[in-house]
Amino acid sequence: MRWLRHPAVYWVVSIGLGAVFIYASLDKIAHPLDFARIVYRYRLAGPSAALGVVPANAFAVILPWLEAVIGVLLVTGLWRREAAAITAALLVMFLVAVGYVMVQGIDVEHCGCFTVGGEGRSAGWTLIASDLGLLAAALYVLLVPPRTVASVSAAEPLPAA
Amino acid sequence: MPIRVRRIALILLAATGFGLAWNSFSGRGVALGRNAYVREGDEEIKAAEAKALLDKGTLFLDARPVAFYEMSHIPGALPLPEDDFDKAFARIEPRLRSSLDIVVYCSGFGCEASHLVARKLKERGIPAVVLSEGWPAWTEAGYPTKEGAQP
Repeated sequence: MRWLRHPAVYWVVSIGLGAVFIYASLDKIAHPLDFARIVYRYRLAGPSAALGVVPANAFAVILPWLEAVIGVLLVTGLWRREAAAITAALLVMFLVAVGYVMVQGIDVEHCGCFTVGGEGRSAGWTLIASDLGLLAAALYVLLVPPRTVASVSAAEPLPAA
Repeated sequence: MPIRVRRIALILLAATGFGLAWNSFSGRGVALGRNAYVREGDEEIKAAEAKALLDKGTLFLDARPVAFYEMSHIPGALPLPEDDFDKAFARIEPRLRSSLDIVVYCSGFGCEASHLVARKLKERGIPAVVLSEGWPAWTEAGYPTKEGAQP
């Protein structure tokens, strides 16, 4: 598995993951109202009598921008591991959300993953599978630093003074 | 290189800032305090107002799937499920056209059916208002309900 630590592999996975998240953010940023209506369907952030409507709306307004920001960071390589950590956390959150609606039998016809209008994927097993794939990529970027001259020398014991 | 928590906080803060700024200045924003199912032109009333209208004999419409209606509904309400609108509408159209006031409700916060039904009625020239927060608002206020398929 040495190839996993090849810098080129690391770059390709990181840029690919970032591109997926940038792409996922665009339609939601363009159509926040439609995305808010999808968020409501998950019934996790409300709206409800206890929470009111603000948490779900705020979530719908902020999440796409978070996806865009971590996407740009993953593509450019700036603060990459921090971005990957947030990406992994988001993907776990999406997994929990999809699992929740599947267990509860809530019908989310349009997952709101990449687009918010027209036909979308429904919350189901294929969605869980692709989510797990992205999670693996995020954990890889987070946990498997590529070989560099610096990391090789850091791994070696310091010569005695 | 260790993960820096401060950077994570900054990323989250930046996304929040971008999101709120875009929401305020893009012209496409969501009113944070308003239900996204509510559109310009929709009329909503509170449960107490709805109760007063019911006591005056106003026609109520239940926009939920019929199974919910049969479990329990507002007394006197007719089923007009959003998922079977055309058929149900044809059945009760004369009654709708002869009603002065109409109140539509569904399962509350996460439910869009009442707004969709009210808009469809408006398109057909029948004015209708939506019971804000729907069924839960009604039952939490302790107002009467009725079981079974009959209004």
